[in-house]
Amino acid sequence: MEYQKLGLKSGLEIHQHLDSHKLFCSCPSEIRQDKPNIMVRRELRPLVGETGKIDPAALFEKKKRKFYIYEAYSDTTCLVELDEEPPHPVNQDALSAALLIAKMLHCEILDVAQVMRKTVVDGSDPSGFQRTMLIGMNGYIDTSFGKVGITNVILEEDAGRRIEEDKDSVTFRLDRMGIPEIEIGTAPDIKTPEQGKELAEKIGMLLRSTGKVRRGIGTIRQDVNVSITGGTRVEIKLVQELEQIPKLIEKEAERQLEIIRAGKKVPPEVRNALPDGSTKFLRPMPGAARMYPETDIPLVKIDKERLARMKIPESFEDKEKKFIKLGLSEDLAKQIVHDVRFSFIESLFSKFKNVKPSVIASAIFSIESEVKRKTGKEVKFTNEQYDEVLNLLDKGKIAKEALLDVFVDLSKGERLDDITKKFAKLSDTELKKEIEKLKAQFKDIPKEKLQGVIMGKLRGKADPKKIIELLK
Amino acid sequence: MFKVGDRVEVKTKTETFTGVVMPAPEEEKDLLILKLSSGYNVPIKLTKEISAIKIGEEKFEGLPTYRPPFKDLPFISIITTGGTITSRVDYKTGAVAPLKSADELLLTVPELHDIVNIKRIHQPFSLLSEDMSSVEWKKIAELVEQELKDDEISGVIVTHGTDILHYTAAALSFMLKNLSKPVAIVGGQRSSDRGSFDGAQNLICAAHYCKSEIAEVAIVMHATESDDYCFATRGTKVRKMHTSRRDAFRPINELPFAKIWPSGKMEIINKNFCPRRDHHAETVLDTRFESKIALLRYFPGADPEIFENLVEKGYRGIVIEATGLGHVAVNPLQKKNSWLPAIKAAVEKGILVCFAPQTIYGRLDPFVYANARLLLNAGVIFLEDMLPETAYVKLGIVLGRTKDIAQAKKLMLENISGEINKRIEPEAFLY
Repeated sequence: MEYQKLGLKSGLEIHQHLDSHKLFCSCPSEIRQDKPNIMVRRELRPLVGETGKIDPAALFEKKKRKFYIYEAYSDTTCLVELDEEPPHPVNQDALSAALLIAKMLHCEILDVAQVMRKTVVDGSDPSGFQRTMLIGMNGYIDTSFGKVGITNVILEEDAGRRIEEDKDSVTFRLDRMGIPEIEIGTAPDIKTPEQGKELAEKIGMLLRSTGKVRRGIGTIRQDVNVSITGGTRVEIKLVQELEQIPKLIEKEAERQLEIIRAGKKVPPEVRNALPDGSTKFLRPMPGAARMYPETDIPLVKIDKERLARMKIPESFEDKEKKFIKLGLSEDLAKQIVHDVRFSFIESLFSKFKNVKPSVIASAIFSIESEVKRKTGKEVKFTNEQYDEVLNLLDKGKIAKEALLDVFVDLSKGERLDDITKKFAKLSDTELKKEIEKLKAQFKDIPKEKLQGVIMGKLRGKADPKKIIELLK
Repeated sequence: MFKVGDRVEVKTKTETFTGVVMPAPEEEKDLLILKLSSGYNVPIKLTKEISAIKIGEEKFEGLPTYRPPFKDLPFISIITTGGTITSRVDYKTGAVAPLKSADELLLTVPELHDIVNIKRIHQPFSLLSEDMSSVEWKKIAELVEQELKDDEISGVIVTHGTDILHYTAAALSFMLKNLSKPVAIVGGQRSSDRGSFDGAQNLICAAHYCKSEIAEVAIVMHATESDDYCFATRGTKVRKMHTSRRDAFRPINELPFAKIWPSGKMEIINKNFCPRRDHHAETVLDTRFESKIALLRYFPGADPEIFENLVEKGYRGIVIEATGLGHVAVNPLQKKNSWLPAIKAAVEKGILVCFAPQTIYGRLDPFVYANARLLLNAGVIFLEDMLPETAYVKLGIVLGRTKDIAQAKKLMLENISGEINKRIEPEAFLY
């Protein structure tokens, strides 16, 4: 398709969870799969808007007349998520992260921000609104097809998680309610479907480079806005995979074109993305003015000096280059910046000065499969386990060669203390003594075989080079 | 410089944007708050580098009117006194204004129209709960009585801020004696500008209560965290037990009269109420109130001079929230901290000294410990299971009605409006 002729215009709205506790209370940002122990039943009332008209989106939801069930956990959700206690002051860590991101996107950052209540009528927020604050405007990001405008950077709370729906009710779980998220809205500067994917990738990399965003399924979400000449702006929600973006833009442009060709008008609406790249009607586009001030929270003054002091983190491209300089292969460097454990791995490089970064990186990327090959068992080691074992290596308590054996024993559930004793690295004098002892023990073995036998006996307890040297 | 509704163009060093001027919060009057077309408000500090010019004006349309067709339903009247329940937000400006007419109330809670006809709405004043006192209680009681006189009226709803709702409920319970019709008092813990406005269910259930057989003053509020049903609880036996939850109002030492569902279903739990009667004539309005009284809470090590100061200042009656079964220090190691001499002196001066339980739940008993007997002998009035707040209101009422100390003491211990419950059911604790 000739997208230029079609007048394709597309912009993204990216929602990314920040790595901090909830935005307006002290609960952890924890998504849970176990059974909730609290259940509350609520109704939401359609509201008379500022012109006296009920918001069209609100009216649509009213027709369904459903009630809402909110599930919660006593240990990770509190009265704030349940709309039973006023919001606490804005989480300062989340605010800092959002300000940093706005700065990296070259935004004009507000002097004072006001938390707003955005009316939400689908029941996902027990309060009936989502708390949201605009912190930056009019920025940009560089792409291969030029600068793309950043319209808004917004800090807001996520809504409850839809669990199930029947004809009378919708169930939401409040584990997700209140998780701080940043919303980045771009200008409709995307002119081809492929540019959409690149832009989403670029913004995603920028967000991850801050080290202040959550990773994993459901922590980032893209909404795509699409219009063509003669059509209208349609919002597509729930895009989880970047690969989907070009197809969604393409299909939406086609869909609008078909409607126009049939001589009809494209209705402004919100549609859900389906796995095959097509979309399904979700609700009419909400009216524009659905926001009024959150009166429970005072205006938020933004500390411009603190903002000026904030350091822009290295970009992933720069990080990759730095890793290569540290002696990592290009592939390994790439693998690290794309890995969920990126910040963890990077922190190990500076923490363990006596261990080569390549040893650290290959341990983390390959040890699990090596252990599996040896034991036949699927294993998963925690960051703490990697940290503890690499620490022993760094302190010279175990030899590099013992790494695999240590992890094999760990996978069998042995205690690290015991394993360490078993593989304790010998000091030079101890090693000499041990070699003499073994030499005496195996005096009958031919000299050319002796080296192999002794190496086998001392495997993992000393540097092989040293053993050879001492045997000479 | 600008007024709310002005469309303004602002130029900073780097940006130009336009928006509509919104009201600034009271404490931030120096800021210009602009609503952008995205709906977000941007507060701006106007400095020399920033230029702002008016480029137009936004018309804020008034609220639509909603005049429902007449239905053959019982009539009620509503007295609104302020608080969140009958305030509404102007979504465009964010400003909060009280409701003015039945029409506006029906826009907020249209379901009421299927339950009752609202004959009149009075708004004698619009105050937050904590700004009220006995002056306002009198005014409300007079208006309620005036409405109840109207034979067409089947009940009255009073809407009120929630903080001191239970004091007002106690005051109306004492000021309106021998009620012939139901009087419901309701509030909201979430404001009416939210989809989660809890006051709607409270109002709906209060309207059902007004049609009920229960001729008592009752607080009608959420019974649980869910939007399922309300409790209608006696005005002298109910207390705000939580700062923010919907179900903050709990019955104390007595079960609520009824559970009321928004559908109109009603389950009577406590039959100890006066039934509706045909004639209003018997209802007695007596709003006399002595305001030179105090409610004081005893705490460990409290210096009795706190109490003596009140006596010196001429207070005519004092309710002390006593510990446990009814105690204040009588025999402490530090002799000066004993309250006994101060209380004796106050009683001799003709001051009414009452004890109410600071535990909230349960009944006082002066006979279990010797110290309490000494206090009883000194003339302290042990108010059984009366709530401290109810006790405070009752003291004002009693001293307003009589100067005779013996008579006042007798009235304090007499059950006037269900404030003393001789039989506390086991389930009434934490109900």
